[in-house]
Amino acid sequence: MTDKSITELRGGRVYDPAHGEDGVIRSVYLRRDGIVSSAPDPAAIKESIDISGCVVMAGGVDIHTHIGGGKVNIARMLLPEDHAANLTVRGEHPRLGSGRAAPSTLTTGYRYAQMGYTACFEPAMLPANARHAHMEMADTPLVDKGAYALLGNDDFFLRRLAAGADPKEFQDYIAYTLRAAQALAIKVVNPGGINAFKFNQRKLDLDEANTAYGVTPRQIVRTLAEGIHALGLAHPLHIHGCNLGVAGNVETTLATIRALDGLRAHFTHIQFHSYGTEGDRKFSSGAQAVAEAVNANPNISIDVGQIMFGQTVTESGDSMRQYAGSAFASPKKSVIMDIECDAGCGVVPFKYKDKSFVNALQWAIGLELFLSTRDPWRIFLTTDHPNGAPFTSYPHLIRLLMDASFRRERLATIAPDAAAASHLGSLGREYSLYEIAIITRAAPARSLGLKNLGHLGAGARGDVTVYVDDANRERMFATPHLVYKAGELIVRDGKIVATPRGATHVTRADYDPAIEKALDAYFATYMSVRRRNIAVADAEIEDFGHSPLIQHQARRNAS
Amino acid sequence: MLGLFVFQLATLKLKPSVSSTINTRHEDVTCTYCGLLCDDLVVRTDGATVTPIRNACAKATAAYADSSARVTAFIAGQPAAIEHAITSAVNLLRKARQPLVAGLGADLAGLRAAFALAEHCGAVVDHLHGGALRQNLKVLQSRGWQTTTLSELRNRADLVVLVGVDVNVNYQNLIPRFLSPTAALQPERRRERRLIYLGPNQGAPSACGELPLDTLRCDTDALPTLLRALQSALAGGTVSGAPKRRKLLVELAAKIKAAAYPVFVWAAGQLDPAHADLTISAVCDIVASLNRTQRAAGLNLGGDDGGQTAVSAATWLTGFPLSVSYAGNTLDYAPERWSADALLRDRAVDLCVWISAFSPRLPPVAANAIPTIVLGPPGMTPAKNAVYIPVGTPGIDHAGQLIRTDAVVSLPLRQLRHSNLLTVADVLGRTLNALRT
Ligand SMILES: [Zn+2]
Repeated sequence: MTDKSITELRGGRVYDPAHGEDGVIRSVYLRRDGIVSSAPDPAAIKESIDISGCVVMAGGVDIHTHIGGGKVNIARMLLPEDHAANLTVRGEHPRLGSGRAAPSTLTTGYRYAQMGYTACFEPAMLPANARHAHMEMADTPLVDKGAYALLGNDDFFLRRLAAGADPKEFQDYIAYTLRAAQALAIKVVNPGGINAFKFNQRKLDLDEANTAYGVTPRQIVRTLAEGIHALGLAHPLHIHGCNLGVAGNVETTLATIRALDGLRAHFTHIQFHSYGTEGDRKFSSGAQAVAEAVNANPNISIDVGQIMFGQTVTESGDSMRQYAGSAFASPKKSVIMDIECDAGCGVVPFKYKDKSFVNALQWAIGLELFLSTRDPWRIFLTTDHPNGAPFTSYPHLIRLLMDASFRRERLATIAPDAAAASHLGSLGREYSLYEIAIITRAAPARSLGLKNLGHLGAGARGDVTVYVDDANRERMFATPHLVYKAGELIVRDGKIVATPRGATHVTRADYDPAIEKALDAYFATYMSVRRRNIAVADAEIEDFGHSPLIQHQARRNAS
Repeated sequence: MLGLFVFQLATLKLKPSVSSTINTRHEDVTCTYCGLLCDDLVVRTDGATVTPIRNACAKATAAYADSSARVTAFIAGQPAAIEHAITSAVNLLRKARQPLVAGLGADLAGLRAAFALAEHCGAVVDHLHGGALRQNLKVLQSRGWQTTTLSELRNRADLVVLVGVDVNVNYQNLIPRFLSPTAALQPERRRERRLIYLGPNQGAPSACGELPLDTLRCDTDALPTLLRALQSALAGGTVSGAPKRRKLLVELAAKIKAAAYPVFVWAAGQLDPAHADLTISAVCDIVASLNRTQRAAGLNLGGDDGGQTAVSAATWLTGFPLSVSYAGNTLDYAPERWSADALLRDRAVDLCVWISAFSPRLPPVAANAIPTIVLGPPGMTPAKNAVYIPVGTPGIDHAGQLIRTDAVVSLPLRQLRHSNLLTVADVLGRTLNALRT
């Protein structure tokens, strides 16, 4: 019996870096349960689509994009002007929505899919806000999603660290947090600094003690990175370091890389952490030093957090640095919050100007980092949406990376003193399609341990994007010809044709249930909720959220 | 044979009843009767009766007792089968030229269904506490703010200023649950904790544990002026008014400045509607100036009857908080214009879908002039022109999720008694499916 269930995409050039395929002309076979890795019985082919002249990649994977949770929703509430100026119209998408910098969840899912992305990961989920983050992600259609839980500013962790608790206890706490928050990975934001801000500390360097607990960012980063290593999580500690946005923070970044001493770690939106103090304005590019450190330390990966000129909104757990930035809010309003003895948040609208020396140099620093980091498997394409720019600017960014003459044209339009202060003009590197496929899908999927995403071989879920090859890479990557989600066609030439919900990815790691007892007591004694109530049950995601839960089991490393 | 079996199951599910024969004790129950969402209630269910036996405030205790077992739908005053009531609702929605979906007293699942239905029908949406919610949003959207949440309040605050908040009538657990417990992560903050109450006489807390309380009485509509005077005192500027009052303001300012983490609490729904935004802005300005050199934060109490969940879900689903209209080719956010009260008063809508699953609250009287579809707990007696569909209460009859007043923490609602009442999501989902076919 032949069951006609396979779609053949025929004649396209396949870029599948996970399998070393660099523009191989071959058929890709898709079924609802995933990619069919070898040529099937022709009788099983339901349809065969000629895509000659097209480029085929796995669906895009965004490793760091603020798509759901409290701070994103605060940004939406704060900025009705951004939304009123960016309304979708009936018929444009399956449902109405709005927004550019902080779009509504439905619109976010549609736009990612229209751009050929099929998985997006929310990097800053406070455990206290986890249920809410999952509510929003459940209403983000078409894409798979997952989130990283924030640790390292919560009073429970800091108290235990100050008390010199056993490493095993931190491993249990990390594993428990992944379970309770339904998280895929662990992130630390301004280690200890968010907590220190609650005690009126306004800055915290790597070796500066938090006044309430007497522990330093270095200790926090080490403890979390060691715990994650011991548990064997696929994605290493996701680090938003100290001193974000501060001139001279390149030294902190390099010191933090040294502090890890070979332990794996991911440094996020590293552009915001690559600033020197040279020149008349005491603000310069630290990109070369950071790129050299990344090149020299195979344990380190980065994403860039490229900025683009225009209006956006910055939203971060880093209440300490966001408070400092609120003086530059545009329009002049911001929200800063201390949250649940857990973390905090800051939402500050911002307009990056190409004629501003600092903003123009930030733009150049991001591109310098892209062009100077040698191993594309350890650098991922992000704008830290929406902190550097909305995710819809990815096609433009891809063109900047692939087209040196276009880049030089743009460089000529920014503040001349910034252009002069940057190496960018001398960097002639152009990313290949193969490298773009690495930094936009293969590498992020591998870093997150997602074996079924980011590639086109056996075991892949069947997320496939087909682009019409076009020398104008911005146009090419803005509107792919076909996008498949788990083997189902969801977008054709920019039009959404089906609306599956997308799955939620989580990591499970074993832990001693004694940690739950300790937390039950801690929550009952100090917190405003019960531990069992703040934990998110599987059924809340699967039943209320209608999202399949994909569980990735971590395997402990022998110590 | 199989077809018949399926049909019977469906009929069974539609036949409403509320019953249970087991006497059960539930711990860590989330209370839905104000925006605090206390989640430490101990509750006993005996048949259909749900009785809190620990940690419930007086308001919640009364609300749990106010439940009826008369599970009957009505069409135009006549008892009807639920299927027929849903069909009537569908017919009304088909005929309506400008429907309003209001009340929005539902859990997240119910709200998702309400927004989907509103989008399909081109309706305007608003919450029954839309007026109060908009006061906060007006301030937020004009100047932003700096706020905190309930666990921070409990552990960090050494001074709490209640700005016109009357904890005797609402948010009754604020002091016993978050301010007077003796344990705190920073014990010195708890030891030094004191309260300041600004507002009318009757709103001063009648019990505040052993916490020292300073009271500065003023009418609600005078709060903005009082707060501006306090701001001036904090800045070391001149303070006008009677000498005794001046002295008190200067003393309070000194206490606030000496505090490590003063928290200013307001409840938009308890402020004078004509001046609420001015009061809230004044509080936010004080917090902002304090934060230049020390720490301070605001905290707003509100979002009752699913109100915070409605605003949050509206915001992520549409990009706008309430109120929004789906009437046109795009979304239209015009908070004052789309206020349910105004639309009903001006006869600008010709059908009102009223959702109030947490309490048997009827739609505004103005809705009696137009056809109305009411979804609420059993036992309600809506106006003659209404189609009434009894629904389960989230957190009693079925599980659900709600977002707390601080817009950060959300809590699970568990089913406490056996019930096969339909949920708001069920009823609206069926309605939408019928409209689509
Ligand atoms: Zn980020």
